[in-house]
Amino acid sequence: MALKISLSCQEATLLVEERADAPLPLKAAVALTVHLLYCPYCKRYAAQSSMVAQLALFAGQHTAGNAEITLPGAARTRIQQRLDAAQGGGGKPVPGGV
Amino acid sequence: MASSISDSAFLSAGEAPEPAQWLPRYGDELYRFALSRVSDSDTAEELVQTTLLNALDGLAKFRGEASERTWLFTILRRNIIDHYRREARHPTQSLDALTPDGPTEATFFEPENGHWRDAHYPEGWQTADAALEQADAREALRHCQERLPAQHKAVFTLRFVEELPAETICQELGVSAANYWVIIHRAKLQLRRCLEKFGLGRAG
Repeated sequence: MALKISLSCQEATLLVEERADAPLPLKAAVALTVHLLYCPYCKRYAAQSSMVAQLALFAGQHTAGNAEITLPGAARTRIQQRLDAAQGGGGKPVPGGV
Repeated sequence: MASSISDSAFLSAGEAPEPAQWLPRYGDELYRFALSRVSDSDTAEELVQTTLLNALDGLAKFRGEASERTWLFTILRRNIIDHYRREARHPTQSLDALTPDGPTEATFFEPENGHWRDAHYPEGWQTADAALEQADAREALRHCQERLPAQHKAVFTLRFVEELPAETICQELGVSAANYWVIIHRAKLQLRRCLEKFGLGRAG
């Protein structure tokens, strides 16, 4: 990224993503701050980009913690059969198991 | 009952794991976790199965330093990364190459000057933070994530759902740092736009 004071929107939005990960070098940070002051579109992008990140995190946590979601019965049976087969001797025979 | 078992699943050193109890004790939890990181239930089931079979193979290595549950989740997380490594590999491109599928910067910005194209000006969103926790927002995200090219979906999910550091993602997926940022940028541009079309920014 060329360190110039005047950024295009394409450059500014890329810096917005990099900034979310780690602090930008001073020159880039200044250039981005200036750009966001006068560009309403990139300012919206910056706010919305972090909302998208937040939404992704929430959605993942919601599914991972949702007690209503259970391993389907058919899959449970199939997996148990594979485990039994893999444990070998003493395991129950698996019908049609590979 | 299941929760009290898993809460007390910290094994003291040397205590033997109980493979026969894995599925009844942890099956649902492992499945939910897998499902929160991949898009379909078949893949999530597959991940649970692979994880438990891997655990069986690795029983000798389990020393009881972590709980059995933690150990199984570590294996599952590993398998999720491997899943995305396979997914992200384009059939005709080298691993580090940017995917030829999907929109690029030129979709959103004027190539001459890098300004937003008129049709892609971000609209103002009315979305309050609380709205992000609503079911329809999650549904919109799922719909939009599905439409990302495989490489973008892999990087986006590992970064923003699994919360892996950028360096780890680059290593695991064999992507250079420069390409990593291009992918993150394109994925966000595409998701932002798709969510907006889906009505996320509209006042409810």
